[in-house]
Amino acid sequence: MKEEFSARMLRVHFGEGDRWLGKPLHEAILAKCKQLGIEEAIVFRGIEGYGSGSRIRHANRWALSKDAPIQMSIVDTEVQIARLLPHLDAMVEEGLVATSAVEVIRYSRTPAVETGKP
Amino acid sequence: MLQAGKAIKVSIYLSDGATHHGVPVYSSILDFLYFRGVAGATVLKGIAGFGADHHMHSSSFVEISDRLPVKIEFIETREKVEAILGKLEEMAGTGLIEMQETTVAKPAQISKPKKPVPPAHLKIEGKAQMMRIFLSEEDRWNGKPLHEALVEALRANDIAGVTVYRGILGYGAHRRIHKDKPLFSAHHGSIMLSVIDTEEKLRSFLPLVDRMVQEGLVVFSGVDIVKYAYRALQADSPGIDGKSSPASERASQPASEASEVQP
Repeated sequence: MKEEFSARMLRVHFGEGDRWLGKPLHEAILAKCKQLGIEEAIVFRGIEGYGSGSRIRHANRWALSKDAPIQMSIVDTEVQIARLLPHLDAMVEEGLVATSAVEVIRYSRTPAVETGKP
Repeated sequence: MLQAGKAIKVSIYLSDGATHHGVPVYSSILDFLYFRGVAGATVLKGIAGFGADHHMHSSSFVEISDRLPVKIEFIETREKVEAILGKLEEMAGTGLIEMQETTVAKPAQISKPKKPVPPAHLKIEGKAQMMRIFLSEEDRWNGKPLHEALVEALRANDIAGVTVYRGILGYGAHRRIHKDKPLFSAHHGSIMLSVIDTEEKLRSFLPLVDRMVQEGLVVFSGVDIVKYAYRALQADSPGIDGKSSPASERASQPASEASEVQP
């Protein structure tokens, strides 16, 4: 099944060491996204970078550094993103949230079975 | 130098054991062709065959395996072939010589191929589109990972560039959390492809995405291409004249930078 719609994409940047209520921040945000039924969320670990606080973040595999830069990409409709943003405000203490308007095509295998029946 | 167009292909059938002035016939014929300036020749070794004497030559018969069939092939202009044919007939002895009309589609080049025609995507500047494709690392297309198949498909369609990212955590169309597994275990993570080209080219590629992506999300956003440099530009630097201009060295650094439009 193929659906096309306008949506909004968030990019959230922070460090791998950042935590929220004892959990890594990216796991906490991902769990929140899932709870809100956000369409798509993915976490990337950068190999080097710097951000707010001008601290250079470096993923050093051998030293098992836990301070790699993290970028999350989150995609959903304007309404869904608006529901997520207040949570991000609370959770991201040091970081950057960028947003852009996007056009989305969603491919899915399932719905025809569930919604096709009366 | 052989040009594209009509030419003659000559095949000479010999036996491996045949000799001419003490050296294998194929070797002396090859030398002869080389010194007479024939554009190129290939010696092929057969694994079995028979000739005018109707003796079966096969590599499985140990005692006669030194008499395997050998074939020499070369392609030249009609004039050149006619000029060397007399001597060839003498050298080939009992072997058979065959000639056939052929057409050279692309002559071989002496050194480097001529400067490749820059692909159509070289000139992108300004407004363009970024297409991000979110899928799962487990997704397959014709037996290979879907993201690899997509990169090949994009390349075949001259799309300017693509980068594949593997997420360490994520979920998508199928609502399953993907978590990057520790080293050496089977991967099944979230994958994002980031593709940049003009809107028309990306839209014309979409039918292929439709067919290849079963489950996933495709996200379009507008970008401004600030710089797009291509490695092929270095073809006119060092090499032939031994000089390299600083400008072409700089240009030889591949780079693709785009800034996203933030509405």
